[in-house]
Amino acid sequence: MSGPVDLDAFRATVRDWCRAHVPPRWREEQTGVSGEAYVRFQQAWFAELRGAGYAVPHWPAEWGGGMSVAEQVVLYQELAAADAPRLVLAFVSLHHAAATLLEAGTDEQRARHLPAILDGEIWVQGFSEPEAGSDLASLRTTARREGDEFVVNGQKIWASGGMHADWCLLLARTDPQAPKRRGISYFLMDMRSPGVDVRPIRQATGESHFCEVFLTDVRIPATQLVGPENAGWQVAQATLSTERGMTMLELAERLGNAGFRWLVAACTRPGPDGLRPIDDGAVADRLAALETEIVGLRALCRDFVDRSEAGRAGPADASVVKLFYSELLQRTMDFGTQVTGLASHTHLQKPLSSGWESGAWMLDFLGSWEWTIPGGASEIQRTIIAERGLGLPREPVMGS
Amino acid sequence: MNTDLSPEATEFGREVLRALEAAGGDALVQQAEADPDRRQTVAAALADLGVWELDPRGDGDELEAAAAVARSCGSWAVPYPVAERLARPPDADGLVLVDEARPQAAVAGLGLRWAAVTLDGRRGPAVPREATAPPRTTAFVTGLDLGPLDDGGAGDRAGEVALALALPCWTLLGMLDRALALTREHVLRRTQFGRPLAALQGVQFQVADAEVERAGVEVLARYALWSIATGRPEAVADALALRSAAIDAADVVFRVAHQLHGASGFCDETQVSWLSRYSLPLRRLPFGPTATRERLTRALGRRGLPGPYGAAAALGGVR
Ligand SMILES: Cc1cc2nc3c(=O)[nH]c(=O)nc-3n(C[C@H](O)[C@H](O)[C@H](O)COP(=O)(O)OP(=O)(O)OC[C@H]3O[C@@H](n4cnc5c(N)ncnc54)[C@H](O)[C@@H]3O)c2cc1C
Repeated sequence: MSGPVDLDAFRATVRDWCRAHVPPRWREEQTGVSGEAYVRFQQAWFAELRGAGYAVPHWPAEWGGGMSVAEQVVLYQELAAADAPRLVLAFVSLHHAAATLLEAGTDEQRARHLPAILDGEIWVQGFSEPEAGSDLASLRTTARREGDEFVVNGQKIWASGGMHADWCLLLARTDPQAPKRRGISYFLMDMRSPGVDVRPIRQATGESHFCEVFLTDVRIPATQLVGPENAGWQVAQATLSTERGMTMLELAERLGNAGFRWLVAACTRPGPDGLRPIDDGAVADRLAALETEIVGLRALCRDFVDRSEAGRAGPADASVVKLFYSELLQRTMDFGTQVTGLASHTHLQKPLSSGWESGAWMLDFLGSWEWTIPGGASEIQRTIIAERGLGLPREPVMGS
Repeated sequence: MNTDLSPEATEFGREVLRALEAAGGDALVQQAEADPDRRQTVAAALADLGVWELDPRGDGDELEAAAAVARSCGSWAVPYPVAERLARPPDADGLVLVDEARPQAAVAGLGLRWAAVTLDGRRGPAVPREATAPPRTTAFVTGLDLGPLDDGGAGDRAGEVALALALPCWTLLGMLDRALALTREHVLRRTQFGRPLAALQGVQFQVADAEVERAGVEVLARYALWSIATGRPEAVADALALRSAAIDAADVVFRVAHQLHGASGFCDETQVSWLSRYSLPLRRLPFGPTATRERLTRALGRRGLPGPYGAAAALGGVR
């Protein structure tokens, strides 16, 4: 960044921009729409943000980003407060794919994909497999080298948004003989390659954003390997923690400035009996406790991002943030369903593109339960905090 | 005081469980979601067993049998208002407890004559509205148009209100039984890090916590039933206490079930996903956890519940 920025002025600029650009009726228009209409809307909104320089604030300046952490916080706050749609479809592209390319990609890979992401290229993460969830290192999809190419066979599962993806971050086993963490490689895979078969999985929340991806003799050029052959596990570990920092700032500000604001609104709206939930001492108490926790979360995230950027993050810091965020999210949504009562039960369709403030508290509550699973489930995060953070003895089973 | 279900009731519950399994088991709810008319299969299977002839209002044994039936139906997440039908008053096919301000129930599209009762014991006819959304998003919940409510008076109707509160809790209990059984099976079968998840203490503790919650509901469910059968004046408060515990337990049990199933618990390939979704109407209607606790507090006033050890407690003086 060049010189300090006047944050108040920046805030005013973003606010004006939001007033002029956030589509006023997007919630109604995005409720119950087709997959195609959703993708079109996401891409259009992405282009708007990009035009303003707001799509990738967390990327380095040379690739179109370069905002300081303080500015990013302001930007995310204003977008949330203005009820802007979230870039849900581009989530993996903007965070996981970008972190991978920036941390471990070659110059050619960066030049090929970072601008393409800005133009709307959609990425999916193809890590998990039916038998490899928490124990990701036991994955079985194989990539066999044949000259300048790798031939991939196997199955991926839980790939979020897989049906819309152009490219995939793929982990596959390149050395079946090596110990399990030393025989994995990291690839960029074109989803339109012959042999890639994507099948949606239906979910408890009624959507199907998970996919299974079947891979049969898929050919990937060796130039699309990220990092050295057989070092894919190490690349994935490095990029996962970078990615966590990038995503958390936005998620925490969104929760604080949108989800929680909606909850406050719900608590102050009179019910059929004319009473406001907030007039009940117990409700006011819970709300205040949540506010305290959310303020804590936002501070925690910001501190974590600051320290990550300075290279001073501790080995378990990302886990603390993930654990706290996901469990706080569940408490908040749980309270939301309670306060909104019956109304929340009948409101069972949520606008696509929304975050934790869809107004469909019941769905958000169910959805929030998913968050203690991906990217290392809560049990795994607790293990990391205990072992790597606090230096407690390893659980015998995890060391394997 | 013996709050155990009679051996006959328990055996009848088992019979219903088996018959429903033969009629489709887990597939019942899946088929009904795709084709709501398939729910008649359930009604027919239960008719064959004589379930609709049970008279839980007239006879303590049949009340126990009705509870056992409701529980078995919960196990399969049966997409049919069995407990609600068993609670019927003489002049209707079924009875639902409603919040007058927003009457709703999971009774869409069955073509039955419904009655609704409020917590303070006023009853009247209720006509389910036409479903406006598919069961996929509603779990068969629909609004009810209430006819004029009589002024039945809390005294006369206490048993009926308690019944309408307690029987659906038995359905929910059946869902908790099953969610926990499925979770137990899953962690025994699912291997990560070279051994079953069940071998990890962090996993065992969660299953144990969920079981403690479920077992607590079971005890309260039997107690509430006994309270109804013996015509206790505090039967409504007992049933509210049951409901409150059941909703809280359901939160814990389903959270653990989802968490330990990992991502698969959110997919319709796993039965936990169906159970969890179809448990929602029972947990939210006619009122959720906060409202249930609030009504319980109101029902208790400053007296407190006598509970199973009421006589002994009374000896210690009135609190
Ligand atoms: C919403 C969502 C989005 C996802 N998106 C993607 C995606 O885009 N791409 C992708 O590749 N994957 C994705 N996943 C998959 C995710 O990474 C896995 O679900 C996760 O790694 C857990 O694996 P599993 O589901 O197989 O659960 P399992 O590993 O089978 O775990 C089941 C339960 O056991 C616990 N457990 C496991 N091991 C231990 C242990 N050692 N100690 C204590 N407890 C343990 C877990 O914490 C969990 O509660 C997503 C998952 C979800 C829920």
